[in-house]
Amino acid sequence: MKKKVLATLIAAATLSTAIIGCGATATAPATGAASGGEAAATEAEAPAETPEGGIRLVNNKVEVDSGLKKLAAAYEEQTGVPVVIESLGGGIDTQATLKGYYQADNMPDIFVFEGDIHYPTWEGLLADLSSEEWVNDTEAEYVRDGVVYGFPTTTEAIGLAYNADILEKAGVDPKSITGPESMRKAFETIDAKKDELGLTSVLGYYTESSQLWWSPGQHVFGTYFDSGLSRDDTTYIDLFKDGGKLDMERALPWAEMVTLFNEYTDPAGVSGTYDAQVLGFASGKYAFVTQGSWIGATLMNDDKDAYAEAGNFEIGMIPYAFIEGQDTILTNSPNWWGVFKDGNVEEAKKFLAWCAADDGGQQILAEDCGFISPYASNTHAPDDPFAKTIAEYTAAGKTSSWHWLSMKEGIGQNATGVVFQDYAMGNFPDAQTFLDTLQQVCTNYYAN
Amino acid sequence: MNITTKKFLSPVLMILGLILMIVSLAMDIAGSEAPFRGIMLVIGIIAFFIGLYLFPTMKHHRKIVYFIFLFPLLFTFAVTVIIPLVLGICYSFTDWTGIRFTQVIGFQNYLTMFKDPAFIWSILITFIFVVLNMVLINLVGFLLALLCTSGLKGGGFFRASYFLPNLIGGIVLGYIWQFIFSNVVIGLTNNISWLAQSKTALFAIVIVYIWQYAGYIMLIYITGLTQIPGDVLEAAKIDGANSTQTLFMVKIPMIASTFTICTFLTLTSAFKQFDVNMALTNGAGSVPNFMGNYLSNGTQMLALNIYNTAISKNNYALGQAKAVFFFIILAIVSLIQVRISNKKEVEL
Repeated sequence: MKKKVLATLIAAATLSTAIIGCGATATAPATGAASGGEAAATEAEAPAETPEGGIRLVNNKVEVDSGLKKLAAAYEEQTGVPVVIESLGGGIDTQATLKGYYQADNMPDIFVFEGDIHYPTWEGLLADLSSEEWVNDTEAEYVRDGVVYGFPTTTEAIGLAYNADILEKAGVDPKSITGPESMRKAFETIDAKKDELGLTSVLGYYTESSQLWWSPGQHVFGTYFDSGLSRDDTTYIDLFKDGGKLDMERALPWAEMVTLFNEYTDPAGVSGTYDAQVLGFASGKYAFVTQGSWIGATLMNDDKDAYAEAGNFEIGMIPYAFIEGQDTILTNSPNWWGVFKDGNVEEAKKFLAWCAADDGGQQILAEDCGFISPYASNTHAPDDPFAKTIAEYTAAGKTSSWHWLSMKEGIGQNATGVVFQDYAMGNFPDAQTFLDTLQQVCTNYYAN
Repeated sequence: MNITTKKFLSPVLMILGLILMIVSLAMDIAGSEAPFRGIMLVIGIIAFFIGLYLFPTMKHHRKIVYFIFLFPLLFTFAVTVIIPLVLGICYSFTDWTGIRFTQVIGFQNYLTMFKDPAFIWSILITFIFVVLNMVLINLVGFLLALLCTSGLKGGGFFRASYFLPNLIGGIVLGYIWQFIFSNVVIGLTNNISWLAQSKTALFAIVIVYIWQYAGYIMLIYITGLTQIPGDVLEAAKIDGANSTQTLFMVKIPMIASTFTICTFLTLTSAFKQFDVNMALTNGAGSVPNFMGNYLSNGTQMLALNIYNTAISKNNYALGQAKAVFFFIILAIVSLIQVRISNKKEVEL
């Protein structure tokens, strides 16, 4: 009998430790994270908890984690309201993680989402931000059916980035590139002097499709929807959303531009990595690169040495002008911060208002996070080689929107990216075949 | 403790335990933040089990004790396997988004999935991959095992180094080989990476997977080979059998059951291939014409296809339906495996 009692007790003890263990992870308060110190939420397996009376923000850019924590600390110092920054990234799918948080009743008060493709997921769960003051200070807020749901954080630009030093040495004026003919002429001129300029190729157009699909499959493709159009022009994206249709009259010259890229690019691009592409540009081996303003951060940090060795050259951007006269680059907030309806909405709104309007907050966002502010009242600019170009285009009103963000989710990775790589490897005879294939892939993707 | 106390105590404890459990769960579901609800739940469970243990019966007492001992495992199994499985099957009949579902759509997801040529392609290449792997891994593993048991100098060293890749995680391994393929092998192949074209990329995955898994299979074969009784081998030698004859007439028949085990191990693991696939090609690759369609997922195997459908395409319900289909395939394979293994054991 005694033995049996002992056995039962042990069984009960095992059981209770198991259950208490489960309960403990769910109820333990987050320590350290609130201090905004070194407690890196990026590596923490257990999600952070919202502090008492404070707010929690889920961010998807690991590279700005420390900057945002500094921002949170500054906010807490001024207002006494603690803000916890939780950065998801490095291979984690933020939206999938957020869905898990929602199921576990552990939603942050502010979280990141990417506009139209993610809106259906969060429909009915986002707070209305229409009456906030910062809405009048920016044009980049996320609006759906007339209601503001998203707070823009930064501005990113898609354009054909160029190395100003090389263009100058080759005697090419970037302003002269206004359409397909002048672009071809410029490429030819530079190509002829390739050796004396120390170039590997005129252009770094990378099409590797397992990791880098987003560059050709979304950004280069995205220029088809918006290049040269006004910010609210949705003609081509509306057509595309209707079953993946392309307008051949506009798409053909665009496909010709891709053909031109294939002619003058580095053949290593079909299997190269993002790092190799940016490093090639940073070390002056490419005159142009098909990446946008986000590489500025890479040039200033990871590729600092190579960039310095190449003379810290000036960087500019020209429009992807596949039809004569297209003079806009594509700028947008790449994602937005949304406020969770059932969270601490009041404090979250106050925090966002502070981020948008407070001079100290703006300064941290610009200098520590490298954000190019989308707010007109802002006076701080990050130390970024692209800041000047973006400011010039914005001031001149020569910007278009990123309507490619509204394409069906996952299309770049699962459909379009590979077609660009295939074309770059020479598997299509001409632009028309490439375009027909792209059309077929998109139609199929929308159908399934 | 006499029988009357038990008769009284047992139902009281069980009912009390149940009430405590229900109240604490109800509080939790209602969103209460009371800190004692966890403790209450645990006390409730313990009280219930003590009550169950004291249940006044002689006939079923042992069964109850068995159940109490099994309960932690059964509970964990139910929470991590059974409930998700049932929920998953239910979700596959809805338009679930990962957040909510608005309607039950019956077999719509299943119809959609078989109308998608990309999914059919994934099934097809998974089967090709499985067959290739089953044959090649066993062949390579067996040859390595022969090599390591042949009395070679430094056999222990080779055994350890062949096994080593198995200790590296598939993702890491995939990235290492991606580097090798796009920076080293590329020189041999006209500057077009193997990974850039579907056919060669599939071949690359097979190579990497063999490299990872053959060492493990080798170890099992070594165990089999060393268990062959020495007298049998000696007898064969005295009878004048040469090494080829010994291999085919003695060694292989003696380790037939090891072959069965290894075949099924490679079969099921190749079916579930995910990490190397994801790290190496992420499923990308072009197929110019499959069922009249151009496909972009030339190297995407089933597991990765399911993952991408749910995560990257944000279609959780369809991904769930594909996962149910995948479960059925694997269940059939496992059942056949158990059948054959049992038969073999009887024969031995």
